[in-house]
Amino acid sequence: MLEIKNLHANVDGREILKGLDLTLPTGEVHAIMGPNGSGKSTLAYVLAGKEDYEVTEGSITWNGKDLLDLDPSARAATGVFLAFQYPMEIPGVATMTFLRSAVNAVRKARGEDELSTPDFMRLVKEKAKGLKIDAEMLRRPLNVGFSGGEKKRNEILQMALLEPSLCVLDETDSGLDIDALRIVADGVNALRSKERSMLVITHYQRLLDYIVPDKVHVLSKGRVARSGGPELALELEKTGYAEFGGEATAA
Amino acid sequence: MDLSVQQFRSKAEQDYLDLYTKAEKALPGAGNPFVAALRADAIKAYGRLGLPHRRIEAWKYTDLRARIDEVHPLVTALGIPVSDEALEAALGSAIAAFPAYRIVIVEGELRVDLSDMSGLREAGVEVSSLSHLLEMPPEWLKAALGQVNPREDDAVLALNTALMTGGVALRLPEGLTLGKPIHLVHLDGTGEAASTFTRNVIAAEAGASATVLESYGSLGMTGLQRNAVTEIKIGDKAAINHIKIQREAPETIHLNVWLAALGADARYNGFQLSTGAALARNQVYVAFNGEGSSADISGACLGRDRQHCDTTLVVEHRVPACDSRELFKVVLDDEARGIFQGKVIVSPDAQKTDGKQMAQALLLSETAEFDSKPELEIFADDVVCGHGATSGQIDEDLLFYLESRGLPEPEARAMLIQAFVGEAFEVVDDEALREAFNAASAAWLGVEAG
Ligand SMILES: Nc1ncnc2c1ncn2[C@@H]1O[C@H](COP(=O)(O)OP(=O)(O)OP(=O)(O)O)[C@@H](O)[C@H]1O
Ligand SMILES: [Mg+2]
Repeated sequence: MLEIKNLHANVDGREILKGLDLTLPTGEVHAIMGPNGSGKSTLAYVLAGKEDYEVTEGSITWNGKDLLDLDPSARAATGVFLAFQYPMEIPGVATMTFLRSAVNAVRKARGEDELSTPDFMRLVKEKAKGLKIDAEMLRRPLNVGFSGGEKKRNEILQMALLEPSLCVLDETDSGLDIDALRIVADGVNALRSKERSMLVITHYQRLLDYIVPDKVHVLSKGRVARSGGPELALELEKTGYAEFGGEATAA
Repeated sequence: MDLSVQQFRSKAEQDYLDLYTKAEKALPGAGNPFVAALRADAIKAYGRLGLPHRRIEAWKYTDLRARIDEVHPLVTALGIPVSDEALEAALGSAIAAFPAYRIVIVEGELRVDLSDMSGLREAGVEVSSLSHLLEMPPEWLKAALGQVNPREDDAVLALNTALMTGGVALRLPEGLTLGKPIHLVHLDGTGEAASTFTRNVIAAEAGASATVLESYGSLGMTGLQRNAVTEIKIGDKAAINHIKIQREAPETIHLNVWLAALGADARYNGFQLSTGAALARNQVYVAFNGEGSSADISGACLGRDRQHCDTTLVVEHRVPACDSRELFKVVLDDEARGIFQGKVIVSPDAQKTDGKQMAQALLLSETAEFDSKPELEIFADDVVCGHGATSGQIDEDLLFYLESRGLPEPEARAMLIQAFVGEAFEVVDDEALREAFNAASAAWLGVEAG
């Protein structure tokens, strides 16, 4: 279970998260919505442990473990995974090399044996196939020259390979065409399980048609302003964020 | 009153002259008038030039007069035993095991017992120890030695010509394509601190093609003062890959000069990786003497502690329609200092020249320093030339991305640094060599090769 209590966080000395509370039980999928600039990505980065995001107050625990104590790689080892809103391009790092290093680093930290090259190749091939990622893409440097949609699919591939228990998806649907959205959503749904919790940040009901959340939270000005069932997302689609101090329509 | 700067000699400056006076009669080729005259002229030139210092533009960042206090005696070849393990420790396992015709020079002496030249002569290559050939230099050597791309103003080169004792002379006959690379291994000894002057001369006749790797390592001697020169003459339509890896002991002073000249429709791929020595000055002079040729001279320098690594290039486009490319990557930690000076000269006749140069540094500490000085001297009007230099730190956002995927920080950092230098390795055609360079940079970073 993820428990966020009274979380305050600063970026560049400016307070962005202002007393955020959120509980995500194990096995559930929660959606996070909210106007641009309300702090959704900030929350995602704080969960993953980005250095320049300074937590000034409050706590985050994952299955009773204090996440704030851990550096980003240790968080990954305990099961935290962030699918980035804007995945990084890293020239000179081959996608395959990167995937393999990541998988083995996480396995090592979890006390598992490293995968042999053939086993790893088999695993990647299988997962990539489900996401319609072709082998040619994996031979390129990490995310370099990938289209927006390819980058997002690559994020989900990493998620599938690293087998996290807490998945945070930051606008994984943005930039996807209708077919890709379906592929990605299927990929995410395939990972849904009793042991795995997910925070799905999105602006659109469209994604939530595929990935039906157990709960929806609306973030506004750095706090959870409202929580409800899946119907809350439908309501927001009609009314926009006006009542939360955002612009009149959802972004 | 015109008091020449050379009136005053530093101790080291005088030491070099004394070294010559003492060794003159015993140097290889002393009895040969051609060689003796070459040496005498060179020491005279050195006497006039003195040791380079910071008031000489090309040596602004590398002041040899200030850095060299005294000169160690000439190395004596004792024929010390060198085990496979010692060789591997000196060169790194990937380079030591690199499949090639191997010619090993220890303490300035060519060691047949450590070399593996079988098949090289049969393939048509003329190969000898330079000191042996100097006793009675054949015509081709006379035409090459000091003649490939002469520099009147270089004291390091002048000292080498005056004192050259070891090295290899290679001649690749017309049209020869050598399938297997030639690896020239240069190792110091294990005795007292010494200075050594090695010289390689490579003449690739028309249409010849080969890969020559030079490696420089230490068997243990501290305080080696190395002066190493390679002259390489690339005939019409010849294609040469010329690669160097330097990983000498931390106290070494490594002074290196490459002199290359290309005929028409020739190709020269030069690459240097430096990770060793306290001070390394790598000078590369390339001249285009025939139309339609191209040269790619790239490299990487990885430095830490107080290492000083200087790469100075001069590319002369003397004739039309030649291309030159340079890409240098520099990674500096602690108080290391990196220098890149690249000069491209385009003569009035050299229309249709295409010359591009780029130097990029990655600074891993606040106290590391990178200086770059690109220079274009263009006297022709129909040319495309450009240069650039950048200097920056590790991108924290990229680092976070890797860490968030479970890579511990040191590994994530190493991966980014390898990616940065790796771009320069891409110019190396030979995949095994590229892998060896990746392994060498991984070893420098203290991680396994990715
Ligand atoms: N590095 C930074 N420096 C300064 N301000 C920042 C930084 N990162 C985020 N912010 C600010 O924090 C606020 C919240 O940003 P955040 O990216 O979390 O919003 P978001 O809810 O994800 O918005 P969107 O829907 O547009 O993705 C914004 O006002 C943003 O400008
Ligand atoms: Mg966002």
